[in-house]
Amino acid sequence: MKKIEAIVKPFKLDEVKNALSQIGVQGMTVAEVRGFGRQKGHTELYRGAEYKIDFIPKVKLEVIVTDEMVQQVVETIERAAKTGKIGDGKIFVYSVEEAIRIRTGERGRDAI
Amino acid sequence: MPFDLGITRNELKEAKERLAQGPPRYPSPTDFFLHHTNLVDSLVRKAFWKARSEVPSPSVCLLAVGSYGRRELAPYSDIDLLLLAPSQGGELAPLIEKILYPLWDLGLEVNCSSRSVSECLSLARSDLHVKTGLIDMRYLDGEYGLFDALFQLFGRSLLYQHVPDFAKALLEEIRERHRRYGDPQYVLEPHIKEIRGGLRDFQVGRWLVRAKHRTDRWEAVLFRDQVCEIEGAIQFLWTIRNEIHRLSGRRQDDLSFELQEKVAPLLGFEPGPRGIEEMMRRFHLSASRISNFTERALERILSEPPLGKRMFSSWRRRKIDSSFAWSRGQIDLADPSTFKKDPTRVMELFRRSQLLRAKIAPRTEDALIESLPWIDERFQSASVVNQTFLSILNHGEGVDDILNRMHKLGLLSRLIPEFGAIEGRVHYDLYHVHPVDVHSLLTVEELVKLRTGAYEKEFPLLSSLAKEVEPFGLLILCGLIHDIGKGEEGDHSLRGGDQAEKIAERMGLSEEEKRLLVFLVRRHLLMIETAFRRDLHDEGTIHRFAKEVEGSLRLKMLYLLSFADIRAVGPEAWTSWKDSLLMELFLRTVHFLEKGDVEGFFSTEERVLADLSEILSPQVFSQYREELPSRYLGCYPAAEIAHHIEMAARIEEEVLVVEWEKLDSRRARVTLCTRDRYGLFARIAGSMFLNRLNILGAQIHTWDNGIALDTFEVEDKTEEPERRIEGFKRDLEAVLSGRTTIKRVLMERKETPGLQPKVMPKVEAEVKINNHDSDFYTIVEVSGEDRLGILYEITQALTEHGCDIHFARVSTFGNRIVDVFYVQDEWGEKLEGKEKLDHLQRSLLSRLTGAAEEG
Repeated sequence: MKKIEAIVKPFKLDEVKNALSQIGVQGMTVAEVRGFGRQKGHTELYRGAEYKIDFIPKVKLEVIVTDEMVQQVVETIERAAKTGKIGDGKIFVYSVEEAIRIRTGERGRDAI
Repeated sequence: MPFDLGITRNELKEAKERLAQGPPRYPSPTDFFLHHTNLVDSLVRKAFWKARSEVPSPSVCLLAVGSYGRRELAPYSDIDLLLLAPSQGGELAPLIEKILYPLWDLGLEVNCSSRSVSECLSLARSDLHVKTGLIDMRYLDGEYGLFDALFQLFGRSLLYQHVPDFAKALLEEIRERHRRYGDPQYVLEPHIKEIRGGLRDFQVGRWLVRAKHRTDRWEAVLFRDQVCEIEGAIQFLWTIRNEIHRLSGRRQDDLSFELQEKVAPLLGFEPGPRGIEEMMRRFHLSASRISNFTERALERILSEPPLGKRMFSSWRRRKIDSSFAWSRGQIDLADPSTFKKDPTRVMELFRRSQLLRAKIAPRTEDALIESLPWIDERFQSASVVNQTFLSILNHGEGVDDILNRMHKLGLLSRLIPEFGAIEGRVHYDLYHVHPVDVHSLLTVEELVKLRTGAYEKEFPLLSSLAKEVEPFGLLILCGLIHDIGKGEEGDHSLRGGDQAEKIAERMGLSEEEKRLLVFLVRRHLLMIETAFRRDLHDEGTIHRFAKEVEGSLRLKMLYLLSFADIRAVGPEAWTSWKDSLLMELFLRTVHFLEKGDVEGFFSTEERVLADLSEILSPQVFSQYREELPSRYLGCYPAAEIAHHIEMAARIEEEVLVVEWEKLDSRRARVTLCTRDRYGLFARIAGSMFLNRLNILGAQIHTWDNGIALDTFEVEDKTEEPERRIEGFKRDLEAVLSGRTTIKRVLMERKETPGLQPKVMPKVEAEVKINNHDSDFYTIVEVSGEDRLGILYEITQALTEHGCDIHFARVSTFGNRIVDVFYVQDEWGEKLEGKEKLDHLQRSLLSRLTGAAEEG
């Protein structure tokens, strides 16, 4: 099992979500986040000190999938979230030790 | 477990697996659907009973809708339920929960909506998706009266009303969907449901028949031959879908490369790329059949006039001639049996349609389809047919649409049977996006666009050439059949040339036209290969090319054809780099053919030196005139050389001087000056690679004083060449000053374990070494699978074999690279000796296949 975490432009969320459900991803967690990468905010000077302001709003989505699906999911997010411009976001892949569905107590791939 | 349905998740999975696999294997996908639907029906009913007994609820009715309603459940299809309640507002949530939970826990993908009859109807009026879902409704359990009421009302007041509006809405949905799933990735790895001619399109066709003819039997409205074809097509798609669901163990409708490789042998195709190509051919043929079925169903409904006008228009038919008549702005048959009496009139129909710029009436097309069996060898060689066909091609305007239409109706492959062999044929690779027939028709479309001025602004030279070449029809014919040799094994250009000869004879072309056609088909890759793989600054290249082309008409046609051929491969295939190379080759050759020499394009050494002596101070000039080799002097104008000399002066203090200019948003020309040293090119290639710069071409020069002066055309697909080149400069400096090595940096990059790489079509490795295409250099051409740092490894191998690289051209086609190097040995001679060449070839091959990677 893997967790795929993607940070994408907010207006791309719907497209990514639809593309993922097209390939049979059954659930995801979404959070509104703020941050910056190479698409930096700008710096402001205040009393002689530099302050970086303007964290840029993004959406972070998390999907847990079986190992066989990782590559297709990553590819799908990549394709759907891409505008080709700076600030398109990033995708991270983590290993997941265990998953448990609380209502039934199912574990492992049955729980995702 | 309170929700037990008497089966566990695993047991259900096994049961599905058994159904899907046999033994004996289910004879057809519809068989599987039936058994699978029955299995699911029984589980859903059980869940429904249990829920009813546990939760007090009003009398309700459970329906299956969508693909479940049609009993077309693939192994992991969604199961859509509809719970009909007598009136609004009833609290049904607890009941639905009780129905769904046990089904979900079995791993079934179930959705359930609950509505009253009137809610269903009003929702279906406003929402196309709900409406189409209801078309396939099926009673499962509960209060039958509710189902009956919905069924009757839905048909009478919705489905059978305003059929043209329904068709319009579906057409819009189809267009949007095809736009989304039309990109090359989806053609190579098709989405079996959503693409043009996919399962959803078949659905749309059936819904239309259902709405218009009020029958479930879509086949009732077609000719028997068509029914068989479409039946076969849909069964094939269903079979594939069932397989990919089963193999993936989940809902999976993308026919990825990986699944193509797995499914093909399961369906009895031979293992390996050939089998995959065969399977995908059948897939594309099936999809195009289905797409025709649906398109025609749509056209038929949309072309009908509103009811009130029907009576009026029937006597407004005007005769065109004895065979054809106008009917509502479309061309219709005056006598319905025209084609059966005289099939040759078919071609006249298209000629009329082209000249009158009018569509052909759907029922006339039906008559054409019906008469296809009468179209045989006599038709193919009838001179009236061929004369008419050639005049359609010569007319130019709208010829792409006409040919497309002929293709869709199945006429094109009747007229040119060789064309039938390339229909749906695909290459199992990443570069050729479209099947060969589609590619050929797109080639024609590109030629027509040039001719009609659609590309005037973008490609002025090509546009003006397209307007002057005659006979234009011959060029169109050539576009249509240039890849006709791909129907069989072997060199497709040679085979295509032979077939073109036969076609020309059958069509009654003049001897001269025949020779032209055969030349263009047989050598349709000549200009492309020369432009992209040879040094155009080498006079010999132009001489050889001009000798083969012979005359300027052939050259112009070949140039136009090369353009159209590349553009028709896919949106990524044509680049400004290819544009400039082809144009350069054309201009040099046409100049040579018309003036008889290459003067003007190839500045002589004396001329450049004379110019230089005026630009440079006498002292600098005398210092350098002996150092500059003559090939170098032939490559650059004097002003540029003077600037190079300034750059060279700076390497007293700096290890490396790099300058660059942007050519367009992706491409840049990088000029680089440093002291020549062993393996310089490999290190440059490595540093470029590290910074994601693709080398497109390179000119490598070494002055007699040991200064290396190289120019590179590079490309950055992310359109940030500035940043990439800065990075390149930094890395190369570090490598040249010995702070690190390319090998070390490459190893560091490789360390991330990453994901399993995606399964891609394999690429054969090939190495060709030739000593006859250039007077002074050995030309090494390598082709193989693109991978991390491959160019670095190849150039490293060349260096290890004592090759000096003087010129390079690098092209990428999907995941295949083709690199061409002009090399000499340590003494400035061509590489000689069989043993030496064989040895070089072997070690290049092993680098290409990655065999030497560990060493």
